[in-house]
Amino acid sequence: MAELRTSTPSVTSVLASAEACDRVSELPGACRVSPGEVALMGDVSEAAVRAAVVRLDPDAVVLDVSDGWIVHSLDGPGSREAFARLSELELPAAGSLVGELAGVGVRILVDGDRIDLLVPSMIAAHVRERIEVDAAELLR
Amino acid sequence: MTPGRLRFEGRDVPVLEGDTVASALFRAGVRTFSRSLKGHRRRGLYCGTGECPNCAVTVDGVPGVRSCITPATGDLRIERPRGWPSADHDLLHVADLAHPLMPVGFYLKTFIRPRFAWRTAERMIRRATGSGPLPMDAPATRTVSRHVRCDTIVVGAGVAGLTAALEPAVDGERVLLCDGFAIGSRVAPGPTLDAIRTLEARVRANPAIEIMEGYAALGLFDGPSVPLAGAGELVQVRAERVVVATGATEAHQLFPGNDLPGVWLGRAASAMAALHGVPPGRRVVVVASTAEGVEHLRALVAAGTPVVAALVPSAFVDEVPRETEAIVDGELVEARGHGRLRSVVVRERGERRRIRCDALVLSMGLAPRDELARMAVGEPVRLVGDAALDAGEPRLGGGYLCLCEDVALHDVEQAWTEGFRSAEILKRYTTATMGPCRGAMCGRALACFARDHADAADQRSGARTTARPPLRPVALETLAAPVHEVVEKRTGLHEVHLAAGANLGWSSGWKRALSYGDLAGEYRAVRERVGMMDVGTLGRFLIAGRDAARLAGSVFAGRIEDLAPGRSRYVLALDEGGYVVDDGLLCAVEDGSYLLTSTSGGAERMDARLREWADRLQLHVHLLDRTSELGAILVAGPRARDLLERLTGDPIEAAALPYPGHRELTLAGVPCRAIRSGFVGELAFELHHPRSRGPELWDALLREGKALEISPFGLDALEVLRLEKGHLYLGQDTLPDDTPAKLGLNWAVDMSKPWFVGKAALERLAELPPTRRLAGLEFEGAPAEGAELRGAPLTVGGAVVGRVTSAANSASLERAIGLGWIRRGEDGFPNELGAGSVVARVVSTPFYDPLGARVRG
Repeated sequence: MAELRTSTPSVTSVLASAEACDRVSELPGACRVSPGEVALMGDVSEAAVRAAVVRLDPDAVVLDVSDGWIVHSLDGPGSREAFARLSELELPAAGSLVGELAGVGVRILVDGDRIDLLVPSMIAAHVRERIEVDAAELLR
Repeated sequence: MTPGRLRFEGRDVPVLEGDTVASALFRAGVRTFSRSLKGHRRRGLYCGTGECPNCAVTVDGVPGVRSCITPATGDLRIERPRGWPSADHDLLHVADLAHPLMPVGFYLKTFIRPRFAWRTAERMIRRATGSGPLPMDAPATRTVSRHVRCDTIVVGAGVAGLTAALEPAVDGERVLLCDGFAIGSRVAPGPTLDAIRTLEARVRANPAIEIMEGYAALGLFDGPSVPLAGAGELVQVRAERVVVATGATEAHQLFPGNDLPGVWLGRAASAMAALHGVPPGRRVVVVASTAEGVEHLRALVAAGTPVVAALVPSAFVDEVPRETEAIVDGELVEARGHGRLRSVVVRERGERRRIRCDALVLSMGLAPRDELARMAVGEPVRLVGDAALDAGEPRLGGGYLCLCEDVALHDVEQAWTEGFRSAEILKRYTTATMGPCRGAMCGRALACFARDHADAADQRSGARTTARPPLRPVALETLAAPVHEVVEKRTGLHEVHLAAGANLGWSSGWKRALSYGDLAGEYRAVRERVGMMDVGTLGRFLIAGRDAARLAGSVFAGRIEDLAPGRSRYVLALDEGGYVVDDGLLCAVEDGSYLLTSTSGGAERMDARLREWADRLQLHVHLLDRTSELGAILVAGPRARDLLERLTGDPIEAAALPYPGHRELTLAGVPCRAIRSGFVGELAFELHHPRSRGPELWDALLREGKALEISPFGLDALEVLRLEKGHLYLGQDTLPDDTPAKLGLNWAVDMSKPWFVGKAALERLAELPPTRRLAGLEFEGAPAEGAELRGAPLTVGGAVVGRVTSAANSASLERAIGLGWIRRGEDGFPNELGAGSVVARVVSTPFYDPLGARVRG
């Protein structure tokens, strides 16, 4: 049985040129949203990240956008099956991807049976409800 | 499984272990399982494999359920939908005698004159036909949908499917094996079942094979992808390869009397005798042309069924049990009886002979179920087993060709003489193959008929008709499972509104507060004191980077380069045709970036538009959608500034925060960007703040506002407030081909700019005379609820020349006002129009505070 938990994450958005984004997309908790955008999950030093990217892109924007996101975490056996009830994306064993789940765009961080769904706050309730309904018997 | 309880049309029917609904009913003496679609002919059990429509009954209010494949478990209520007063004694059977009135294609031929004839006939026909009424009052259930990926999907878990599943599994590929039923559950004991059990053990032991029993494939789509329906869910399988092992059904035979109750296909009869212990009849005749047929014959006899005669080819003569008369190389001519089988006529060595019997069991060949493979064009699909058989030609001796749609062979012959001369158009005209069996029983016979009758050179007319999904009857609910996605967006103040008892409603995908119970009070608060509203639904975007101004200047039609930091401006986005697609408020920030607010419903469109043009123009910009991250509260009314002054030490007087402008403030400890807003026509501030701090800010405003008699207001009050100001809602007040000129928004367009999206089109359109425009309207003699005028056609001399797009009672103006589009006539635009019995007068907007002194306050 998988466990579903909801938490408020720390998210920092980095908007910069592709080369500048390359510099930070290997950091732990990084999700490459597009060539020009990286979302960094967890506590990061805004100043350090800015210093890393402005050398390559003086216009780069580094912004704390934590309020825009909610994390729904699926953890434990059955989490991948629960995910498949809501999305046609193929999950890697570990890594991050961007795609559609329950009809909305989300960012996904995967590590084995632990799946973190980074969902815009305005639709977080919808996604939580969909997981609870569609994967009811898979959840603890 | 424990046997259930069957309640059949008011009486209890005993159920034994392993029973299907059909076997329990048959054991209880039911012979007429349904009445046919048009002629209300009696139909009894026939295929026994869930293909033909004969055994379809209504189970617990759900019509069209195949009783032969429905386990009799749980508490089930069974009814037969067709037939009046009952399926057993059906007076509507007269329809069969009235066949000349309803010939093939009758809807094009009869009930045409007098003109009301069809209306009357249609009502009667609809009542007499159909699969039964839908359970409209049934509680809503929800089918879930999920996605599965594999290397190979094998559809069908018979001998061929099990074998195919084991083949690639050796390489460690992921194989998914699915079947509409439990493996081997519908095969009578015998060599075939033994083979299945042996293979099944190997398949179950192989961890690379996932088995999905009770999941029926619905079709085959590009990808290839195969949707499966079962266990209350729709599973969408994406595979690299598809193996179709759907087997074959026993071929439907055409001869006079072929639809009489008592005529069985071999699988149905042998399962009834061997699995359920009920002999199909007391005097049974078997026609066995195949090895499988001989197996059925033996199974029937072994189960104690009295088989009086068996028609077999000479090769099988030794297989006929001693107690049964073998008729070697005989030919079946017809089945006779009224309402049920009484005898069969056979031809033996040229002699016709009649044999009395009450059951006729047919095993005369196979009809491969190859539809899935025929749905796939250019997909990696392999047919195996019986599904890949090259089936022989069915014999077209008479009787009913299509059992589902009640189409007899003579109907098809009639259609042919009328000029419908290929299988595809015969299908459309006669509706043969279009019933619930999806052509499984009759598809081959129809193609064969066309082939026999067509010119030898005309290959196409005899081709099989196109196979289409769904392969099996499927509930609409199942099909809707993956697309039924209502996404509810909520602002950070959602819980606050719920606690306040607000009336919530949908607006552009958001759940919003429509009102807090006192619409008039909410309106007055804004006009006379101060009101506050959750506007966290507005789209908010950051546009940064060195080309930010160029992007804004390109996407928006107005002047951008002179927009100084701290100032804001209404902007219009056009498409390349010069039509208005979006609007918003652009705020220039000190660091060279912009904050853009856009309409609540248009945020996603705006995001896409900005990114598209940044990409097309190769601009160095950084875009961020901040809609989810920022909350916003609109504080509006003559006392709005008084309220904010109580919560901040930052300067907010007109000089420090002029209209139209914006600045950062800290209000009640919450960091905000305050934007002066003119939408409601009063002194107003939009307070954009971190979403998580919304409830705190809302509470502080409400607390401090108490002394000023503040009131929260909702969308309903906003509708009146903005209308009095003459502001339009894009989408509600606009049409897809509205240019700025038609909307009276030319002031928001700067044609002196070298380029912006849509400029070239506007230049061309400017040379044409205006034909339509949005106008302000005042109504005379309006109904008590002015809003009822919304949508009303606007007329001049009886001709419709426009439509009311927004309307409301204005308390300040003490009359009904609105917006609407009007068409230009020969004498220019009309000044007075009719809206039903109401007079609509064209007036200039804004209706309220035309000079804008209150907004600037």
